[in-house]
Amino acid sequence: MRLEVRVPSLLSDCTSGRTRLEVEADTLGEALSRLLETHPLLRAHLYDESERPRQHVLLYYNEENIAWLERLDLPLRPGDRLTVLQAVSGG
Amino acid sequence: MAKQALVLVGTSQGLFVLRSDQDRREWEINGPYLHGWEVYSVLGHDGQGRPPRLIAGTSHTAYGPAVRVSDDIGRTWRQVEQGPRYPKESGFKLNRVWQLAPGHPSEPDTIFAGVEEAGMFVSRDRGESWTELDALTRHPTRPEWFPGNGGLCLHTILVHPTNPRRMWAAASAVGVFRTDDGGESWRTCNQGLARVPTGQPCPEVGYCAHKIALDPLDPDTMYMQYHGGVFKSTDGAESWYPIEEGLPPDRISVEPAAPFGFAIASSHTRDVFLIPLESSEKRTMRDGRLLVYRLRQDGSDRWEPVGDVVPDEQRHVNVLRDALAVDSLEPYGTYFGTTSGEVYYSLDRGVSWGRIPAQFSRILAVKTWVLEDHVAA
Repeated sequence: MRLEVRVPSLLSDCTSGRTRLEVEADTLGEALSRLLETHPLLRAHLYDESERPRQHVLLYYNEENIAWLERLDLPLRPGDRLTVLQAVSGG
Repeated sequence: MAKQALVLVGTSQGLFVLRSDQDRREWEINGPYLHGWEVYSVLGHDGQGRPPRLIAGTSHTAYGPAVRVSDDIGRTWRQVEQGPRYPKESGFKLNRVWQLAPGHPSEPDTIFAGVEEAGMFVSRDRGESWTELDALTRHPTRPEWFPGNGGLCLHTILVHPTNPRRMWAAASAVGVFRTDDGGESWRTCNQGLARVPTGQPCPEVGYCAHKIALDPLDPDTMYMQYHGGVFKSTDGAESWYPIEEGLPPDRISVEPAAPFGFAIASSHTRDVFLIPLESSEKRTMRDGRLLVYRLRQDGSDRWEPVGDVVPDEQRHVNVLRDALAVDSLEPYGTYFGTTSGEVYYSLDRGVSWGRIPAQFSRILAVKTWVLEDHVAA
C-alpha cells in the first residue's frame, strides 16, 4: 500500500527537494521506518538525541497525531497520508 | 591579483552574501539563502584548488540544528549527512551550532564547531562529517555548567596561529578553557575574571565570557568582552586583568558596574573594536547612540570612541557577539550587524561608517571572506 507523505519545504533538502512523496509499506510503523531509511537526514529533524519526537514537531496520520496512537502497526489503507507539521506554539 | 570582498550575514531568517570589489564602495546583496533557518554561524572556507565552500550552522525552533554547505558561494546548498550530534547515552542535546572556526593552516580541511548545549565538534573533511571532541563534555567541571541567558552555548573557538595543538574555547556562564594537546584535554583559564552571579558554587567555572579576540601578532595576547567588563590576557589566558579605561560604565545600580556588551574583534593591524551596550539589564545602545570604541595602540590599554555610526539618528539596538568582524584587505574593513537588521561598514579604522542599503532580519553573525576574483566568479 502507498502512503502519501508531506514534509514542510524547510525539510525538503532531506527529501531530494520534494515536499510530497510516497512510501510503500503494509503498516504505518513500517512506512515510518522506510521513510527514515530512504531519507536518513529527516531523522535528526523529527527526533531528538533521546529518539523522542522533537517537542515542536507533529506527525499526523491522516487527521490524528501519531503520538496519541496506541500502536503503529496499523494496516495502511488507500488514500492514507502522513504529514510532518510544526506545532503551533504561539506567534 | 584582484580580489573580492564578501561579507556573510547570518540572520534569524537565513543567510545573505554581500559582495564587492576591493574598493568595497558598492555592494551586491545575494540571498536570502537557507531562508526560514536561523544562521547562527557561517564560515567561508578557501578551497585550495577546490571550489571555495560556505559552511553554515543552521537551526530551527522545531526542527533542530544542521550543518549545510554550499560549493557555489550560496546559490545551492546541501545538508551534510554526518552532522554534529551528541550520542543518545550522553544525555546532552544539540540545539544550535554557535560557532564555526577554521583549523590551523597546517590542517586546511579541519573545521571546529562550538555548539549549544556547550561542546565542541571537529570535522577533518571540510564539514562533511563531524565527531565530538568529548574531552570538554567529560571535563570534571561539566556537572557545574549551567546556561546563561543565551543558553549553554560554546561560542568562541580560537586556534593558536603557530601551534596547532593549542586552542581556546569559551562558553557563556561557564568560562574559558585551553588545550595544549589538540583537544584531548582541557583546563579552565579564568584567573582574574570577576565572578558573575550564576548562583553556582564551583570556583573553577561560572565565568561569563561573551567573546574573545586574539592579537594576530602575539597569540599570548587576547581581549575579552565579558559579562562583567572587558579583560585582557598577555599570557595565553593563564590570567586576565580588566582594561576598561575610557569605556562607559554599566549604569546598573548594584556593583560591579562594569562595561557590558557582546561583540569584540581585532584587525591584522592590531586594532581592537568594541561596541558597548547600556548595561546587562538594558541591552541596547546607551542613549540610542551607536558608538564604536577602539583600543588605543600606545600601550595604555585605554579605549576611545572613534565612530559615531549614525550621528543624526537614534539606534536602540544591540550588536550580538558574532556580529562584528574585520576583513583581511588593505586597508582593512570593519563590519557589524544589528539586532534590527542593519549592516554597517567602515574602511578607515572605524571612524566613518556606511550602511548596506538593505534591512535584514535580526542579525546573528557577520563574517568576512576574501576571495581572488577568478575563484569568486
